[in-house]
Amino acid sequence: MDIIQFLLDLLFSEAVFVPLIFPGLLTLTVVIVVIIWFERKLAAKVQLRYGPLYVFKPLGGIVQLVADLVKFLFAELIVPKGADKRAFLLSPVILFTFSVAPVVAIPLSSGYAAVKSDLTLLIVPALLTLAPIFVLILGWSSDNKFSFIGGLREGYMMMAYETTMFVAVLAMAVTYSSLSLIDIAGKQSNGLWGIVLNPLAAFAFFVAMLMTTARFPFDVTEAESEIVIGPYTEYSGIYFGLCLGASYAKLYVLSLFFAVVFLGGWNPLIWPLNLNPILPGVAVLVKAFLVMLFCVFLRSVYPRFRIDQALQLGWHKLLALSVASVVLALVLIGLGFEVG
Amino acid sequence: MSEERFLELLIGPQHPGSGHMKITAEMDGDIIVGFEPNIGYVHRAVEKIAETKTYMQIIPLVERPALPDTANHNLGYTLALEKLLGIEAPPRAQYLRTLLAEINRIHSHLYGIGIHGIFIGSSTMFMWAFADREPWMELAQQLTGARLTYSYMIPGGVRRNLPEGFKDNALKATRYMERRLKDYDKLFVHNPVTVARLRDVGILKKNLAARIGVVGPTLRASGISYDVRKIEPYCAYPHLDFDVVVREEGDSHARLLVRVEEILQSIRIIRQVLDEVPDGPVFLESYIKLLSPKIREEAEKTQIMRFPATFAALKPPKGEATSRVEAARGEVFYYIVSDGSPQPYRFRMVTPSFRNVVAFKYALLGRRLADIPAVYGSLDYFPPEADR
Amino acid sequence: MKGAKTKGKPVVDVTGHLQAFGTGVKYLLQPRMTVRYPEVFQDFGPNYRGMLKLYTDRCISCTLCARICPSNAIKMYKTDARKYPGITYQRCIFCGFCADICPVDALEMSGVHDVAYAGLEEQVQKPEDFSKGPPIEKPPRKVKPMIDEKRGLRYERV
Repeated sequence: MDIIQFLLDLLFSEAVFVPLIFPGLLTLTVVIVVIIWFERKLAAKVQLRYGPLYVFKPLGGIVQLVADLVKFLFAELIVPKGADKRAFLLSPVILFTFSVAPVVAIPLSSGYAAVKSDLTLLIVPALLTLAPIFVLILGWSSDNKFSFIGGLREGYMMMAYETTMFVAVLAMAVTYSSLSLIDIAGKQSNGLWGIVLNPLAAFAFFVAMLMTTARFPFDVTEAESEIVIGPYTEYSGIYFGLCLGASYAKLYVLSLFFAVVFLGGWNPLIWPLNLNPILPGVAVLVKAFLVMLFCVFLRSVYPRFRIDQALQLGWHKLLALSVASVVLALVLIGLGFEVG
Repeated sequence: MSEERFLELLIGPQHPGSGHMKITAEMDGDIIVGFEPNIGYVHRAVEKIAETKTYMQIIPLVERPALPDTANHNLGYTLALEKLLGIEAPPRAQYLRTLLAEINRIHSHLYGIGIHGIFIGSSTMFMWAFADREPWMELAQQLTGARLTYSYMIPGGVRRNLPEGFKDNALKATRYMERRLKDYDKLFVHNPVTVARLRDVGILKKNLAARIGVVGPTLRASGISYDVRKIEPYCAYPHLDFDVVVREEGDSHARLLVRVEEILQSIRIIRQVLDEVPDGPVFLESYIKLLSPKIREEAEKTQIMRFPATFAALKPPKGEATSRVEAARGEVFYYIVSDGSPQPYRFRMVTPSFRNVVAFKYALLGRRLADIPAVYGSLDYFPPEADR
Repeated sequence: MKGAKTKGKPVVDVTGHLQAFGTGVKYLLQPRMTVRYPEVFQDFGPNYRGMLKLYTDRCISCTLCARICPSNAIKMYKTDARKYPGITYQRCIFCGFCADICPVDALEMSGVHDVAYAGLEEQVQKPEDFSKGPPIEKPPRKVKPMIDEKRGLRYERV
């Protein structure tokens, strides 16, 4: 049984398990199916109606997204005549890849992580900055004025949130004096989570997260009543699924990041989480899921902003807030506050 | 290669945010520098068809263009027809007409607020407004037998009397609506995002509004207190006590607030009507006398009025008549010319949405692309009503 | 309500945000207002305007119904010496004028409003089919809408 042991070892090794199974592609698919269902059901409950109900009635229609995915797979892929074919067909794939790629940096416990380096804190925001470029390419290559405007809007939104996000992450790096996600999560084991130590950074990062994943009220890129569905207008079939899935994948990755940096990661390490190096990841996933639930709930509460209002919010108020969070972190360090 | 600075956007009929009309917008970046609404996609020649139909057959025809607001259009036509025939409905019928007109005003305003909500992105407001139309449509169904296209008002009175238990149900619905309006306030009308989207957007100043001739809540939100129910009162309005809702700012948020306030005023009117409705017949005595005794008894028993045989080919004397009614979206104007035959010689209806189209051009020049749905929803423009 | 000015509210109006969010959470706990049609049918009461039934023995062939119909849905069909009305349901707008003008109560409106026909030919009904009335099926569950002060509309089993 050498070969089976070898395969099992290979499967559970960090380099294979984290990107592919947990919290990688397989978990991503399951989480996207469940969170979109949750979004529609939560919005429906607030709006006094049922939401998805009939696909598998005993479970309340939770398999609705699988039915939608199957429909997308069978739909015809239409490429517009004047579109730039290579860019049109490649950019959704690359967009989705860059939206999912940062998941490799998330540690599951202090001994189990795919990337063992001192700089894992920077990997997630750095890889996510590449995604909006491909939305711009999407919008341009579709040969449609509404897609073009939508792509430009995504470019503007990137301007709005990126600086804030990086400064908030800087504040957390200063607070914990470390750029490694494993270290940061480890230092939160004494019960003082990041959100308690530096609530300004948490809030600024949270709003920047809403902006980057196009959750309401920052749904500007896909504003349906103004620009049909923004840069994704000409896409059909599974490409459309990839485009919309990319923003949910970004939400998933950023929620995991938020859970590790601000919500204590896998702490507290109670039984049965300390039985196996993989199991603390379940706590991270649960916290990330709760953050995602909160983000998608906002769909039923807010209308959407205009692009110049979102930009003003990002540059005036959020940037000021995140700079204030850095100052708060410096004050905390200066007061000799020992973290972890 | 010529250098083009302006982008021409065709927000045409196949667009989620355009309704049944085409908008040609010239954009300089995000700023609108040219705006042309192109209407007529739903023109069904109502006025011409009316020349081939008899006067009773025109009643459902006239309701169909303005679907959220059928009772007010029906009322306007019936008042003009009664002027031609030289008759007047009994007082109880006038009160019942007012009752249905105000119920219809409430659910038409809810429709407008809901569409405005979805245009700026709040799907919750859309679903709530349309869910809250249901109690009102159920009330109207108890009164008339249909949920939306009532055809309730006929020359000489109305078709049915108040059913049992109607007053309790109506008062319950009014109390429910008042409670819900408070929730609308917190979730949508004074939501900071909504206020940011709608405040100071699409301003129509007082002089401009008067000069270009807009009507309805659009006019009242620009500071001009003009309501046909106060200027040329009809039906039971001279005896009722209500306020005309006026705001000074003239922006989209003011128009939304005027609509919400008008729902409250309509609730006030409904309560007064139900308290003060006089007893008596609901249909003209001279028409009831034309019915056979058996049918008269049947009508008395079921309280559903029957038509005399002359209604199949009403022949009003030669002449012309006009009437004005305050529908939910503004003032409707009817003009009928009769030449003694069963069909009218000329039938003209001027609808409020048709008058408000011109406000698009003045409200949107110099604004941003994202303001188009915000202003569209606030003007409560209903294309089938404008195109007839 | 003449000219009341609204106060300026900045975008970071915290109470506004909290109130909107709180209202959203409050409605997560409210009951729904949807009727699961077609598993559940609504019973609108006895006077709902629906499809028609002709009582051939009462009809006196006065043709008033065909003359007043706003959409020309009723047409008279000649059978031996008399004429009886037939109806095209595609044109019927359920206004009830024909039932209200009939001088002998030969047309009666039922409460049935949702019958599906496989094609246009079935909707053109001669007096023989018209006199059978609409096909009344036994629905699985009927509820009656009642106006309720807390919930707007509440549905009671009938």
